[in-house]
Amino acid sequence: MFKKIFAVLMIMVFLLVSIGVVLAAEGKGNARKGKYLFRKNCRTCHSENGSAAELSPISKTQADWQKVFDNYKQLECKAEWDKLSDQDRLDMYEQLYGHAYDSPSPAKCK
Amino acid sequence: MSASSKPTISRRSFIKLSGAAAAAAAVGGPSRVLHALVSGNEEGAGVAAREMFSACDMCFNKCGLIARVEDGVIKKLDPNPHSLKSRGMLCARGNAGIKQLYDPDRLKYPLLRKGGRGEGKWHRLTWDQALDHAAEQMQRIGETYTRCGFLFMAGTDMQSTFVHRFAEAYGSYNVISHESNCLLSRNRAFLDTFGVVPTPDVLHSKYIIMPGANRFEALVTPDSMDLMTAMQGGCKLVVLDPRFTKTAALADEWYAIKPGTDMAFFLAIAQVLISENLYDEKFVAEKINGLDEFKAHVAQYTPEWAEKETEIPARDIRRMARELAAAAPAAMIYPGRRSSDYTDSTQIRRSFAIVNALLGNWDREGGLIVPKKIKTGSIYHDAPFYEDNPEDRVDAGRAQMMFDEEGSFKHTRDAVIEGRPYPIKGWLTYKTNPMQTGANRNKTIQMIDHLDFMMSVDIVMSDTAWMADLVLPAPSYLERKDPISAFLASSSCSGVITRDPIVPAMFESRPVFWIVKELSKRLDLTESFDFTIDDFRKAQLEKLPEVVTALKNEGVYNITGPSYGIHEGKPFKTKSKKIELFNSRYVENGVDPMPVYHPPQPVPRDHFRMVVGRNAFITQSASTNNSLLWELQNENSLWIHPKPASNLGINHGDRVEVVSPAGRGRLKARVTEETRPDTVYMDTGFGVISKGLSNIFGKGACIAEILEDHADSVSGNMAMHETFIRVRRV
Repeated sequence: MFKKIFAVLMIMVFLLVSIGVVLAAEGKGNARKGKYLFRKNCRTCHSENGSAAELSPISKTQADWQKVFDNYKQLECKAEWDKLSDQDRLDMYEQLYGHAYDSPSPAKCK
Repeated sequence: MSASSKPTISRRSFIKLSGAAAAAAAVGGPSRVLHALVSGNEEGAGVAAREMFSACDMCFNKCGLIARVEDGVIKKLDPNPHSLKSRGMLCARGNAGIKQLYDPDRLKYPLLRKGGRGEGKWHRLTWDQALDHAAEQMQRIGETYTRCGFLFMAGTDMQSTFVHRFAEAYGSYNVISHESNCLLSRNRAFLDTFGVVPTPDVLHSKYIIMPGANRFEALVTPDSMDLMTAMQGGCKLVVLDPRFTKTAALADEWYAIKPGTDMAFFLAIAQVLISENLYDEKFVAEKINGLDEFKAHVAQYTPEWAEKETEIPARDIRRMARELAAAAPAAMIYPGRRSSDYTDSTQIRRSFAIVNALLGNWDREGGLIVPKKIKTGSIYHDAPFYEDNPEDRVDAGRAQMMFDEEGSFKHTRDAVIEGRPYPIKGWLTYKTNPMQTGANRNKTIQMIDHLDFMMSVDIVMSDTAWMADLVLPAPSYLERKDPISAFLASSSCSGVITRDPIVPAMFESRPVFWIVKELSKRLDLTESFDFTIDDFRKAQLEKLPEVVTALKNEGVYNITGPSYGIHEGKPFKTKSKKIELFNSRYVENGVDPMPVYHPPQPVPRDHFRMVVGRNAFITQSASTNNSLLWELQNENSLWIHPKPASNLGINHGDRVEVVSPAGRGRLKARVTEETRPDTVYMDTGFGVISKGLSNIFGKGACIAEILEDHADSVSGNMAMHETFIRVRRV
């Protein structure tokens, strides 16, 4: 009896986790968190006096940001990108793509 | 207004002293009394006259000025001839800035409410007490309702950037500006057409149609001066306005267009330009997206059709379209500034933008231009992220395409009252006065009733401060050090400006930078404010030594050189990389991709449509209590046409009551043919509830009390010309 209940519970947990993963993959990122993550992880180098080109959401078009996220493994700073979780990248994408210079709501603040 | 402890200088003695000072100044004698108000060891005291550069703050324009100081007292404000933006001029409000500084109604020390909200009973606090109390409330609200449970609203000001920074460090993204009560729908429309909000090159234009805007009274520098200069050089001006403004009076042609039908007029202009092939085919082929769709769409909108909607003769519409085309590309539909009028104000401005596109005036002399703007540095900060915060703004999703970093005052207010999608219980306002500028004042009061804590930082006891729990005194622009501010003006006059204190801050007033820095210490957010204004300026100008020199020697840095023909060949910042007559993003957001005309609601029987605006000595509610400007206008009046006035038994100068579903107000009638029979008009800035505004308290009626709070469906901008009112003699 307990084995049966345990098995049912396991199946339910599996299903819930699977649904959660699918939702996270298909769902939107959190742009607010993306802004924080972008500043924390990217701006160390990509700033006015940093070692790489200064970047903000309005540095690129939406299409350009799409390319960056699609091909981040080819970037010099790939190692830094790999440290981020899928959700972190989705959050950053939401912020950068959503506030690109040709977006409906271009970023005002850096 | 009463205070529980004695101020250093009592209000009564201040008034006496100021009055005596004014009398002394009038006869040309020394202002010993005002001199007595400033401490003896201050900079400039007891020395000969000196002159200092600054930038005016009597409205948003930031015109260059020179302050003349004698014995520590500012005696005169003069225009800075080096300021190309202000064309070496300073308007009546700019001249009256001296009375923003020397004003007995100034807030003098922190005040804590001790009676009911709006009762006007206050308890004087020390700054430490006030800041400790504010920080305690912010901490409590943040912990109880998340950091987004605190709302921030800062007006147009060179220090507002620090309020935004503080909100970000505190952790709230519920930040709104004054803009959603003003011009957001214009910005939305032009951004969505051109990918950027352009500037009109009025100075070099040969033909301007100005719909709704009143540039000879609601001054915008340099447009107001440039319009006069352009007209002296032969530029034709056509004004569409239900009211005979000063701009209409000086125009070549004025049409008292039926309110709410401007889109019909411009769609008909577009129809003529297209059907008669009057547009620049090469320009259109290279730069425009969606011409075929627009051609098919606009075919229905003939001048004959538009005549029935606008009450402007079809032959004149057709003639004006041809005249525009003949003058193009040095011809324009003036984009205007305040566009908070109708529920489809974005689409109305889209029709302006589209006609401009057809005229091929983009990046051309006398057309719409995007001058170069200087890029200043900054001090970055890493604002913390609060995991328990909700995912989005409180007003998210209430308009189809709201600007994420602007929000909407109307929709935020509704969300606070409804408590949905989450509660907001705290509010900080800085130099903005939504009790006067946000339609439906009773709803703003209702919103405030839903708050646990509200604090207001201002120079005087505005109506908004009057409703707050904690009021903090700020210095005027003549007493403080501001960061560097880059501005975009028009052809050959973008630039950079800043302010230094001309005289020390009076009373216990403290700049908002100091206030948020002190609060950040109490809230453990010091990392975001670990600098002085001097440090900030240094970072801003680190790579711009020429700006430092110009600011020192001339009080302004002007960016000169060509301001048109500089974007040729560059892609537009739109989805199609072209000017979008057809906007595919609109389709994705459930918005008509091209402007579709819907007739305005007809004016009900025995009612009038109310429209609002201002004259050249009013900056909404910020200037009407100024003692010099108040001499020019001490109350507002209701403009009403003689015909309906006669039917209602109203004579010129009679006192009338204006009633709408939102509220009511009493003021004098100005019976005049300068408005349409179906439309009445009132100036902004009167009918205050604050007894701290001694000149205008009890004078006139308040637009925010009477206007209903409709909103533009696309941007969430307030729509202030959608209210129908009744009028009766009292």
